[in-house]
Amino acid sequence: MAKKKTTRRRRSTKADREFVSEAEEIVERMRNDLADLTDQCSGSGEVDPELLNGIFRSAHSLKALAGLFGFEPIQELTHRLEDILDGLRLGRVALGMSALTLIEEAVNVFGSLLQRVDDAESLAGAGEQIADLTNRIEAATNEAPPEVGEFDSLDLDASLLRALTEYEEHRLRENLERGRHIVIVESTFEIISFEEGLSELSTAIREIGEVLSTLPAPGETPESQIRFSLLAATDLSLNELSSRLNFPSATVHSVGRAQPSPELASGAAPPVQAACEAPPEPPLQPTAPEMVHDSENLQSLKSISDTVRVDIRKLDELMNLVGELVVQRGALGDIVSRLLSDSKTTRIGSDLSKVYKAFDRKLKGLQASVLDVRMVPLRQVFEKASRVLRGLRRELDKNVRLEIRGADTELDKLIVEELVDPLMHTVRNALDHAIETPEERIASGKDPEGRVKIEAFQRGNHVVIAVSDDGRGIDTALLRVKAESRGLVGADEILSQQEMLDLVFLPGASTRDVVTETSGRGVGMDVVRSNVTALGGVVDIVSTPGRGTTISMTLPITLAIIQSLIIRVAEQRFAIPLNSVLETLLIEASDIQRSEGRELLNLRGDALLLRRLASEFQLDVPASDGRQFVVVLGMGDLRVGLLVDSLEGQQDTVIKPIQGPIQSVDGIAGATELGDGDPVLVLDVASFVDGSTRGREAA
Amino acid sequence: MQHILIVEDSPTMRALLTSALEGLDTPVKVTEAESGFEALRQLPRNSYDLIVTDINMPDINGLELISFVRNNSSYRTIPLVIVSTVGSERDRDKGVGLGADAYLVKPFEPDELRDVVRDLLTRPRRNE
Repeated sequence: MAKKKTTRRRRSTKADREFVSEAEEIVERMRNDLADLTDQCSGSGEVDPELLNGIFRSAHSLKALAGLFGFEPIQELTHRLEDILDGLRLGRVALGMSALTLIEEAVNVFGSLLQRVDDAESLAGAGEQIADLTNRIEAATNEAPPEVGEFDSLDLDASLLRALTEYEEHRLRENLERGRHIVIVESTFEIISFEEGLSELSTAIREIGEVLSTLPAPGETPESQIRFSLLAATDLSLNELSSRLNFPSATVHSVGRAQPSPELASGAAPPVQAACEAPPEPPLQPTAPEMVHDSENLQSLKSISDTVRVDIRKLDELMNLVGELVVQRGALGDIVSRLLSDSKTTRIGSDLSKVYKAFDRKLKGLQASVLDVRMVPLRQVFEKASRVLRGLRRELDKNVRLEIRGADTELDKLIVEELVDPLMHTVRNALDHAIETPEERIASGKDPEGRVKIEAFQRGNHVVIAVSDDGRGIDTALLRVKAESRGLVGADEILSQQEMLDLVFLPGASTRDVVTETSGRGVGMDVVRSNVTALGGVVDIVSTPGRGTTISMTLPITLAIIQSLIIRVAEQRFAIPLNSVLETLLIEASDIQRSEGRELLNLRGDALLLRRLASEFQLDVPASDGRQFVVVLGMGDLRVGLLVDSLEGQQDTVIKPIQGPIQSVDGIAGATELGDGDPVLVLDVASFVDGSTRGREAA
Repeated sequence: MQHILIVEDSPTMRALLTSALEGLDTPVKVTEAESGFEALRQLPRNSYDLIVTDINMPDINGLELISFVRNNSSYRTIPLVIVSTVGSERDRDKGVGLGADAYLVKPFEPDELRDVVRDLLTRPRRNE
């Protein structure tokens, strides 16, 4: 049998990239799990053994990878990291905040080393720091001797006992010490589809106890069936367990129980948990209940085998090709109608038309699939936000509970990535500026524990991401004073409450004078707004003094291919993304009401601000006195009506950014090519709708 | 062509194992399973001549997989190699006790793996 060697092997650069990307994934997962563990540890003091074991497994994987990495200090670090986690999960090292902090530090160091894998010098420079950390971890890992103990008292099959890992033995022992019933739940599945049923069964058992081991064995027909024996521990009696499990195909039998402890009441109880040494700190609530949902176990099992990772640039390329096809299809459609309209070519036209329709259907399918592939749930971004918040909570010494909803809401990958900064900024603001200290909160009759909620939901063709807090609200009077002192608002200008709130979006309009590390000064909501606007979205803000603030970002679901309404004004055509068009109206000139230099339309009882597209772009056209079309645009809660000459129909458009002088023209988002080959400009709906509510420029 | 099943949850390690095995003088076919569950699904699909498995994996671990293979009349005689890391000696020894034929400790040289595999592929199958 082979022995260990520490020599290095050569790796291709592809393997290098794979190593880094896998290691980064593991580090990310560890950070999340550690944050959860820290919460459990400082909260109830009881931790979920499976969570701890998961972190150990991550460390174990890192160690195996670091072995390929060839940099001695890192190997040593991952080795010690795995050691301490092994000690923790096996109950040989006491679990407490000091150990967790050390582990967190090690994970962060590893994460930062990954960033400079290619920089040998910088790595070598970090050697001492790593060695110090390694020593500290080693010192904290003063292990208790390994447990010994026989399971003779249990009526357990020898083959099952032989297949238990050291960790599984430890969990068995731990559960026995707590006086729980040890049972075996058996069920047979078809081998081609066992995962779903098994996962359901395991989840059901976890609700009333702990799964200690999952042992597969051949079924009656070994080629097609598989039987699983789940070794489990529970406080329930065998009868209670059978009825609670409600799993007809499963058989349950008891294998024993040691030292029954009378103080444990029967009935449903959470799994026996490893205790955490730390004295409970101020209660930190576990975050994001949705994120640890049962169905996720099932999901993660599935994703193990059915996932392909693809570089987003490859998807962009694919999307571009589909975009080109969409434009070509438009051209083809034009040819079809030309052929059909000429009596000499009607027959060939109608043949081609059939082909065109089939092509059109397939292309739509292709387009939908490609778009679907680009969609990712917001979960990761939200998890990141929740981690940031947890870190800050400690740093700022504020007592805050984070709620997350709608983490499964999906958005185009590109948008999700661009969203990270504005979202982080908004969350930081909420914690740093909005939430008061516990003392202040008590003084104003509030729950000392503040609340920050991040929520995502789909609204039509947009996704809304809202960050709300129950903090002090925005001081609009102070905002105004600041804006005046900067000359952004005239002293005699009359502003509505909403207009005052919107001042927060002006550069440098922070209302707190204290510079904190968290939010800094000068980097403010203006950056959030410009980021979101660049994505074709809008930011809304609602705030009540003393009660809290909600900041909502409304974003299109995708940027890639969108349906557009083609309109004409002053002999020019423009495209308007259809997802922002609420409706179109045909009105008489006499329907338009004028007030304070603005044109308004009574739309079912609400005043709709109208803007003339022609005058916005200074196109030379006299205001028509006859019938006109109004395109009602909406984003978030904002509405505006655009007056245009005619509507030309809908088309799929691929928006391309514009380079050159008109790049920064207000109101233009980009350009697209129509089926007939003509380029048209695409309106930036966001700038129309939010410009109008601010009333900075009267139409 | 002889067929080898690799069971390993780390993509990097899987790629390394595969490329090492592709360097054998006699070409072999390699199937990768990224979890114990995937291995259970793969087993009935092909006739394997050798299994290389990690121990520390999510869902079912290497020991549980080895126990399954050794208790199944269809797979009982397939040679089995454990790849594990330093520190997992106890679990690895249990794996050997369950009927694994050899083990390697990560990180190992491709040649070490090839030597072990070549030996097991040419040796007469176990007949318990």
